[in-house]
Amino acid sequence: MSMLKDFSLLEKYKFKLLPYKIAKNEEDAVKHAKYIGFPVALKIISPQITHKTDVGGVRIKIKNSDMLRHAYRDIVSSAEKSKAEVKGVLVQKMARKGIELIIGGKEDPQFGHMVVLGLGGVYVEIFRDITGRICPISKQDVREMVGELKSHPILTGVRGQKAVNMNTLEDIMLKTCRFMEKEKVKELDLNPVIFDSKGADIVDARIRK
Amino acid sequence: MRESGSEPMERKIKNLKYVFEPKSIAVIGATKTPSKVGNVLLKNFIEGKFDGKIYPVNPKYDEIMGLKCYSDVLKIKGKVESAVIATPAKTVPSILEQCGKKGIKGVIVLSGGFAESGNTELEEKLKSTAKKYNIALIGPNCLGVINPYSRLDSIFFPVFKLQRPKPGSISFVTQSGAVGSCIVDLAAYYGVGISKFISYGNASVLDESDIIDYLSNDDSTESIIVYIEGTKDGKKFMETLEKVNKIKPIVVLKAGRSEKSSKAAFSHTGNIAGNYLAYSSAFKQTKVIEAKDVEELFDYVKIFNQPLPRGKKIGIITDGGGLGVLTTDAIEETGLDIADLGEETEKKLKKILPAYANVGNPLDIIADADPELYKKSIDIFMDDPGVDLIIVIVLFQAPALDERLLDVLVEASDDRRKPIAVVAVGGDYTHMNRKILDTYGVPTFGSPRDAIKAIKKFTTYSLTSRCRKCIFR
Repeated sequence: MSMLKDFSLLEKYKFKLLPYKIAKNEEDAVKHAKYIGFPVALKIISPQITHKTDVGGVRIKIKNSDMLRHAYRDIVSSAEKSKAEVKGVLVQKMARKGIELIIGGKEDPQFGHMVVLGLGGVYVEIFRDITGRICPISKQDVREMVGELKSHPILTGVRGQKAVNMNTLEDIMLKTCRFMEKEKVKELDLNPVIFDSKGADIVDARIRK
Repeated sequence: MRESGSEPMERKIKNLKYVFEPKSIAVIGATKTPSKVGNVLLKNFIEGKFDGKIYPVNPKYDEIMGLKCYSDVLKIKGKVESAVIATPAKTVPSILEQCGKKGIKGVIVLSGGFAESGNTELEEKLKSTAKKYNIALIGPNCLGVINPYSRLDSIFFPVFKLQRPKPGSISFVTQSGAVGSCIVDLAAYYGVGISKFISYGNASVLDESDIIDYLSNDDSTESIIVYIEGTKDGKKFMETLEKVNKIKPIVVLKAGRSEKSSKAAFSHTGNIAGNYLAYSSAFKQTKVIEAKDVEELFDYVKIFNQPLPRGKKIGIITDGGGLGVLTTDAIEETGLDIADLGEETEKKLKKILPAYANVGNPLDIIADADPELYKKSIDIFMDDPGVDLIIVIVLFQAPALDERLLDVLVEASDDRRKPIAVVAVGGDYTHMNRKILDTYGVPTFGSPRDAIKAIKKFTTYSLTSRCRKCIFR
């Protein structure tokens, strides 16, 4: 269950992940959802599945126990159909509405650890609107990075939509550099991280050491 | 980060002085066989009137081109400060050992056939020998250096095929000999004067950072151009760029931007962030100026030869309204400012302009403007403290303009109170005039956008980097 390991490692470094619990069965899932508080999302956990959405392994905006039971059965059976081994189901609080960003990191062979910021979500590989910095970085670097994105008006507020919370962004970015250097991370995705004017939710993460 | 000059430079870097300004040089591998490297090399030293003693070295001859030839460097009686080696790779380590014994402190190894062809052991031998004798070694597998001030030239390309630039203030550091030779040729073509040219090849002893470090303390170098394909030590490179760029502007051209990032990457980040992103990030962080191709590089080189602007308020003088508008468009897209002309300036301009001309910025001095009107307008802009940089748009096609305008523009550029840039759009006749201006150090551009792109980098550097040239008078 590498995802869980990744999540708890990030939590050790005080990254604020969306509240989550792992359900082993349907009853578990109901109990966790009540504890976390509806609405929630369900996500399949399987070593064979990397793109969960592609195989029907994700359900969102689940409002009550009934919906949850249906959703649970659906995603488990679709996973089993694709012959994937199901290690459990992630019950996660629904993220805030906002702007999806990707915050990433990698170890470059010449420059060492670097952080990457970009417009996230499903189009990340299509628009490739990203910018980077070599670690360590300063808050000034983060502000410059935002300005370098083609989509920067989306981040700084456009058409009645409020700007993303810069303090939170700076905090996550600086923390990402420290985290990668300390844990000797080769590759890191925090994707998506959903921002609004008040803060951000880290929805998903992947780490390769 | 270390401050410039606060730390003593390593001996091997200091010894680069002997590579660039030797009083005596051994040309090892000099030969009588025409068009061989060792032949062109020696010829260039002799015909280029190298400012020092030349010792050809080759056991096969007693004399070449009228000079006594030695079988090895140890046979030379006098002191030898530097050597250029152009012999087969396998002979180089023992020759270098002899150089060390002779007390030669600066060596250029032109020969290829080392790590780049898999002969890492041979290259390791070079490294250890250079280290043993504290030799500043450039290369192997390179074109070596040009220092027009001492007429030192190890580029083994015939002068009639590859022009050499005049002495000036820009130094070029290049990893690739091929690109480097084109840069040299173009610098000469554009009339750009150089301080040092260094093609460093395999960088086995001294790498790009060491060379840039040396140039930061080189009095005749005012700005530095770097062409790089890849560095071995990214952190050291960044540290050097950041430190030196504060004193002397650095323009970098990085090749290999389009490399495909690995499809099999584990993460989205791994997939979308290739190795070039690391370089471009490093350039942004260190505030150096990145050029995307050789043409752009020269646009930057030209403008950086001007005195740094105090701000980003641009004054435009034009004899064609349309080009003034295009320039204004480009300025507004880039975030530069159109200068507000002072009251005094407007009064002065009204006196010199015909009654039907509008006083404003862009200042349209009308298609029948003559060189005298250009001169007066430029002078008035020079005196207006609200103008940081002057763009002069010239339609060389207009009947009232002749070569006197060139004098006016050269004078304005030599004034050095404010930077100026000339925009001239047109064909052969315009090109001819641009080339003359470039040769005299007046930066010219073929379109408003090219000019504005370069000016934007120039003002950004001026406003964000502290440097020696910022001490305005």
